[in-house]
Order: sequence, then structure tokens, then C-alpha cells
Amino acid sequence: MTTKVENVRKVFGDFEALKSVSVSIEEGEFIAILGPSGCGKTTLLRLIAGFEEPTAGSIYIDNNLVGNENHVKPPELRNIGMVFQSFALWPHMKIYDQVEFPIIHHSSTPDRIKSNRKKRMETVLKLVGLSDLSERRPNELSGGQKQRVALARAIAHEPSLLLMDEPLSSLDAELREEMRKEIQILHRKTKSTILYVTHDQGEALAMADRMVIMKDGAIEQIGTPEDIYLRPNTSFVASFVSKAILIPGSWEGSVFYPDAAPDNEWDGKCIASAFKENGTYPVRPDEWIMSKKFSGIQVVINNALYQGREIHYSATDQTGLTVNMITPISERYEIGDKVSIQKTGTKVVSVTSTTAR
Amino acid sequence: MNNLQLKREFSPLSMGKKTRQRLTTYILIGVIIFFFVIPIIRLFILSLIQDGQVTLATYVDVLGEGRTWYMLENTVWMVLGSTAISVALGMMFAWIIAYSDIRGKLLMQLFILIPFIVPSYIVTLSWTQLMSRNGPVASILDWMPFQFEPINMYSMGGMIFVLGLSHFPLVYLFTVGVLRRIPRDLEWIARSSGAKRRQVFLRITMPLALPGLASGGLIAFIANLDNFGIPAFLGIPANIPVLSTAIYQEVVGFGPSAFSRAATLSVILGLIALGGTLIQWLFVRKSKRLETVQEDHSPRYSLGRFKTVLEISLWSFLLFVTIVPVISMMRSSLIKTYGLPFKLEHLTFSHYSFVLFENDRVLGAILNSFVLATVTAIVCIIVGTTFAYMRTRKPNNLTRILEIFIGLPYALPGMVLALAMIFMWLQPIPGWNPGIYGTIFILLIAYITRFMILQVRGSITAMSQIDPSMEEAAQVFGAKATSKWKRILLPLMLPSLLSGALLVFLTSLTELTVSSLLWSSGSETIGVVIFNFEQAGYTTYSTAFSTVIVLGILLGMAVFYIFQQMWKKRVTEP
Repeated sequence: MTTKVENVRKVFGDFEALKSVSVSIEEGEFIAILGPSGCGKTTLLRLIAGFEEPTAGSIYIDNNLVGNENHVKPPELRNIGMVFQSFALWPHMKIYDQVEFPIIHHSSTPDRIKSNRKKRMETVLKLVGLSDLSERRPNELSGGQKQRVALARAIAHEPSLLLMDEPLSSLDAELREEMRKEIQILHRKTKSTILYVTHDQGEALAMADRMVIMKDGAIEQIGTPEDIYLRPNTSFVASFVSKAILIPGSWEGSVFYPDAAPDNEWDGKCIASAFKENGTYPVRPDEWIMSKKFSGIQVVINNALYQGREIHYSATDQTGLTVNMITPISERYEIGDKVSIQKTGTKVVSVTSTTAR
Repeated sequence: MNNLQLKREFSPLSMGKKTRQRLTTYILIGVIIFFFVIPIIRLFILSLIQDGQVTLATYVDVLGEGRTWYMLENTVWMVLGSTAISVALGMMFAWIIAYSDIRGKLLMQLFILIPFIVPSYIVTLSWTQLMSRNGPVASILDWMPFQFEPINMYSMGGMIFVLGLSHFPLVYLFTVGVLRRIPRDLEWIARSSGAKRRQVFLRITMPLALPGLASGGLIAFIANLDNFGIPAFLGIPANIPVLSTAIYQEVVGFGPSAFSRAATLSVILGLIALGGTLIQWLFVRKSKRLETVQEDHSPRYSLGRFKTVLEISLWSFLLFVTIVPVISMMRSSLIKTYGLPFKLEHLTFSHYSFVLFENDRVLGAILNSFVLATVTAIVCIIVGTTFAYMRTRKPNNLTRILEIFIGLPYALPGMVLALAMIFMWLQPIPGWNPGIYGTIFILLIAYITRFMILQVRGSITAMSQIDPSMEEAAQVFGAKATSKWKRILLPLMLPSLLSGALLVFLTSLTELTVSSLLWSSGSETIGVVIFNFEQAGYTTYSTAFSTVIVLGILLGMAVFYIFQQMWKKRVTEP
């Protein structure tokens, strides 16, 4: 019961939206596709849903071929559910009718659901906490309630694949946090397979079992949130997901010496080879420590944003490189202060050993 | 699983579907070209043929006559004068309704639209009654010490006035939306940068409103050029020919080369109108950039102490141009013999009972117009909405060109279309006369081709108000084509769809221009009967019949409005 996308390519006119993309989604898995706007993530989702036809490649749902360059199964014959970015609730229908719609109309609704429609409706409405609102119409609901209706409708017929297209992007920040939890709970309870498209790193990191990072119509990296965050494979993933900055320097085996502070030695066992090849080291904002005392990269603070829990500094070094840092509230520096910064775990080696190098 | 397996699984269906789709497209293109384009091409060709030879002789003849130039000069003055009135009135009302804080805007807008909803020949009829020698204006003037005469409506001035009045709502409709869409911040920024009110209006509001004003003005220009009812009621008796009435008289006069002369005049008229449409289209294209902004309905300028004065004068004007003429028309319809003074002993309802119960032609005409309008509206709603669906979901060059084709019969003056219809349906394919000309069917074909674009536009608007995700959601959740339309698309589109259909229905119901050339005994329409009554001098019958029609239209509009409000309440999203 897997969903598979094999070498799928999609061209709109002379724009190549997807360049030979392959992903496979296991049953019950929560996959987040993450990328900046225009990276092709929505195109991929629409191809899987059946709204677009692939230019090349094949798509399988439940191990059944649903689309390739010659033949495309229309969306209504694919065993999917979907949550739209705009929720796409039908304004003229009561909540109950909206959620009941797929149970009645979808050809792949299992018989046990079709014959126990009322029971299923009760379960689904209770699952999303809408039992009391089922007689209302969408214009009588708040944003969060609309979101729940959209979720209930998407799972009512127990689709083998649940597609979510930036479902939280039209909610405000606080509600977004709350709905993340709800979606996670829903995923655990229903054990459904979810493909979740988003441009928000936080959402993807928090909810997904695995993440797919996309850029310019191609996949940059696939892995667990921890993998992606701590061990990015490409400089794009490092800067887009972990907000890391690339520090120039020289590699010796798995040891890195930054150009701006050659006496600092950084351990780079887990750093991907791509960085070793172009002589850089990705450092996340939370990996820096600042001091006026130790030897490190010399920078001038040019901005400080007080956040309550922590402070976000940005600073520039002699080469004009801007470094962003997140530090605990205990250390305070003023704009214009000259400080040295080190990556956590830096070993300072003697100058002689550096010259010997 | 490989490709072969997939093909076995669902290829018969999808292969057949593709071929069927291509076939449908070809048939659609063929039908649209046959019904909408070929009649016009044939009209053009006919203007170039004399005695079986291709020649410009008819053009040389027609343009060599002093009468033609006199008629063209009349046309120019009439169109320019009435367009100026339409633009001035339309702009003024648009600004006041969009920006000022006067009260009762909804009701005022309704009154602004009345001259447009009531057919122009009925408006003309009511004005001739108001200004007639024994009408209300004359009796008031008799009281006065000086020897004043009421204005003579049967004159160039009368035509310009009624045309201007009938078409200023067009300018209003085009401008008011554009004005509302100009973001208020733009004016505020200008004010805070030191501009005075007058400068804000001249430097910010006007340039931004210009596209709407210009396209409204050009629509009014085309409507004034196209109109037949007003110059026919006022200009023919006064012997002031203009292009549309000249073509009519040429055709009904049955001169030796009547048809080719009429065709030549039609080509001239058509070229002027298409030129206007082209300019209008260029303006609309430019004005696209404002379309995404929301309409802002709250007032921007407070009139202060002038408010009451302005309200009183605007309402007096509106009542004077809408209600007063209609009342004087009703007055005429109640008098025993036309010309008698309006006194109780001269009053009678006999004209009403005559037109409603005794005269078969009237009853036949009401039935004909009703059937024609209903069938036209139904055909347009089905075909027009299907086309609008294609146009919005697959916006490519093919559908864009087809939309232009469908719009041609409406962009051309009605008289030109009527003539084209005659030539086309005498022999749709050379050598074959299906006997459509001379029956009610030619009217039906003419109405459908002429008004199809109104429904297409209405349905496109309806479609564009529905987010594509509504339809996609229906698909994802398993709805096949039938249930998708029945449960989702139609309920969402219905109010806007029906207002398009209502426009088609009302315009067909009271159509005169096309009908005046295409009617035959037994297939008279409402407009034709009123026109014939008036031409034969039966003013009491024409006014009685017109009164019935006006009341019927107002009743119909009210019912529709109530229905639409109820429906909207059910489906609106905040």
C-alpha cells in the first residue's frame, strides 16, 4: 500500500516545473514536502491528485498506476483525500453535508463505511470536535473550525492517501501552532498516509516522519527531520531549513579551519561531502558562542533583536560576511561592539601548529 | 505494473474521450462560424455584387448621393450629441453614488437604471406624450402669461435628448465600479503630500477613472449609433434620416437595388460600430490592472450642508426623467379619443381591454415575444454557460477567438445583423431554402446569435467568482461530472447565471431593431406591434400596451430581485 512517484517530469509551456522527481511514501507515513515558492512542490501534489498530467514518468497510488505520460486517471477515481490551502468548503452546504459528500460520492469508499454512514459521520465529526456544529454553514465558522471541517471531509472516506496543500497558511500564528498538534493527533489516531506540502520549516520539522526538500523542480534531500536539520546534504538545505551560514575555510580530512580564525579547529565528521568540496562549513545560528575574551572570528555587532527568551544578533566580519546568532538572554552586547565568535565545540590550537600546516 | 497493463485497464475510455473531445471542438468551431460569422461575411460580399458581378458600383452610387451625406451628417450629430449627454450624466451620477455621503443610494441606483431597463421606444413614446400639444407640459405652459410651446420631440434635439437619457446608465455602470475600486489611500497620500481637493480629482481620480469612463462612453456611442427605436419614432415622422432608419426604409421600400444598397449602408454602419468596439476593447485591456482591487462602498466626501439641496435636485431630476413621462403615457392611454383633454368624463379602460383581450395581434405578439425570449434565454444559458466553462477553464487562443466571434452579432448594429440574417437564411447553403425566412424561427436564430454574448459574459463572471478549488474539491471527493454540476457548480453559480439570463430574456422580450426587419405576419413581437400602432397613429393603443409592458417588466424585476437576495443569503461567504 505505497504511493510512488517515479521520474516524474512536468513542463508548462517552456517552463520546467519538475525535473525527474522520484519519491516513495510508505503506508501510514507522514511526509512533508518543503521548499520555497516556485520549487514545484504544489505541482507535485497536483500531479498526485490528478489535476495535472505528467509530461514523463509514472505515479502509483496503492501500487496501482494512476498516471503516466499517456494515460491519466481523473482525480475522482483516485483513492485520495485532500485538504486545500483555501479549505475549499462549499459555501452553500451544511457542515454535515460537506463531510458526508465523499462517503456518498467516492467510488473507493469501503462498503463498511457506506452501509454505516451515520455511524461513520458521528465518529469523524467527533474526531475533529465538530459534532455540535454540523448544521452550520461555512460562513458561520471561525478559521480553525473551517480547518477542522476540511480535515474531516478529507478523511471521511478513509482514503489511502491524504494530500495537504499548505493547510495552515491561511490561519494566524497562534492557531497554526494549535492545528499542528491536531493534525499530528489525527495522523496518530487514523494511521493515514499523509503528504503535506508546506514552505514553513517549523511545520515540516514538527510533524513529519520524513521530509522532502525541493528546489527549482528537483529534490535536494530526503530524510528524517533530525537528519535534515543536523546533517544537511547541500548548502541550500543548510540555509533554507537550518538557517545555517556557510563559513569559508579549509578542510583537512574531517577537520575544518575557518579562514577568519585559522587557530580554531572545528570537528566535521558529520558534514556532507558537498561542503568539503567547496571549502565551507555550515553553522546554525544557535551553534555560536560569543565572547570578548577568546580567540575566534572577529565581528562587529550591527543589529540586536530582543525576543524575550533569547536575543537574535546579527554581525559582520572583516570580509563583509553577515552572521546571524541566537544567544541566551544572559549575554548582552551593544550595537557596534567588537566581539569574537566561536562555533560550539571549537578547539583552539596553537598558532605554531597552524603555521606548520 | 507496466504500460500495457495500464492500457488494458482504462485506455478504451480515455482514448475514446480524447477523440470525442477533438470532435466536439471541431463541431463547436463549425457551428459558431456558421451561425455567427458567415452571415456577416455574406452581407459584406452582397454589398460588393451588382448584377452578378463584383463591383464597387453600389458604394459609388450610394456615396455619390447628396441624401446619403445628409443622412451621415445627421447620424454624426445625433451620436455625438447624445454620447456627450450620456457621458456627462453618467459621470456625475457615478461620482455622487461612489464617493458622496447622500442617502438612499440603493434606491437612487435603481432609478438611474430605469431608463435603461425600459425599452427605448417606450421611453420615447412617454416623452412624446409628456411634450405633446395636449400633454401635461402644454397645459402648464398655457397657464403662463407668455406664448410658450412645449419642446418638439420630433426633432434632432429630441432624438439627442432621449438617446442621451436612455444610455447614460451604461456610462454610469462602467464608471461607478472603477471609481469604487480606486484605493482611497491613493487620494489620502495625495492629500498628505499637499494636494488640494481639486488637484486630487484632476491628478489622481480622473486619470485612474478614465479607462472606465472611456469604455462606458464608447459603449454609449455604439448604443446611440445602433439604436433604431428612437430615430424611428422621432426621426422618421420629422423626416430626419439616420443610418439605422435609412437601412430600414431602404429594405421596406423594396426599391430595384434595395438589398444591395441596404447592404452597403450596413457595411458603413458596421465599420463605424466595429471601430468603436475596437477602441473600447483597447481601453478595457488597459484598465485590467485595477480589477483585482476590492470595491470600496463607504463614502469618501461629506457634502455637509449641500447634502439636502443636492438630494432634492437629484431626485427631482430622476423622477422627472423616469416617472413623469411614464405617467403622462399612462394618461394618454386612458383617454377615449386621442386629443381630448384629460377630464374624468373622457377616461376609459377600453384601450387596455382592447390590447389585452380583444386584439389577436397583441395577444399573439405577447405570446411570440414571451416564447422567443424564453427559448432564447434557455438556449443561451445552456450553450453560453458551457462555452463560458471552456473559456475560463481552458483560456487559450482558440476560445479567445471564438468569444470574439460570438460577440460579433452584438457588436454590430441590430439593423446590420437583421439584414445579414435575411441574406443568410433565405439560402443558408446556395440553392437550398429551408423556409426559415418569413417564420418566427429567423427571429429566434437572430435573437440567439445577437444575445449569446450577454450570457457568455454573465456566465464567465459567475464562473470567475468561484474559486477553482471548489470544483477540484468536488473531484477529489469523488463527484463525477453530473453530481459535480448538480451539487456544487450550479448552486454556486445560479444567482449570477440567472441575472445574465434575465438580461437576455428582457432584451429579447422587448427587442425592436432586429424584429422590425425580420417579422412577418403571424410572428409579430411586442416591439413591432407598438411600433406599428404608433406608425398607424393609434397612440392610445400604443401607450396602453407600453404601460402594460413597463408594469410587467418592473414586476418581473422585483420578483427576481427578491429571489436573488434570498438565494444569496443562503450561500454567501463572509
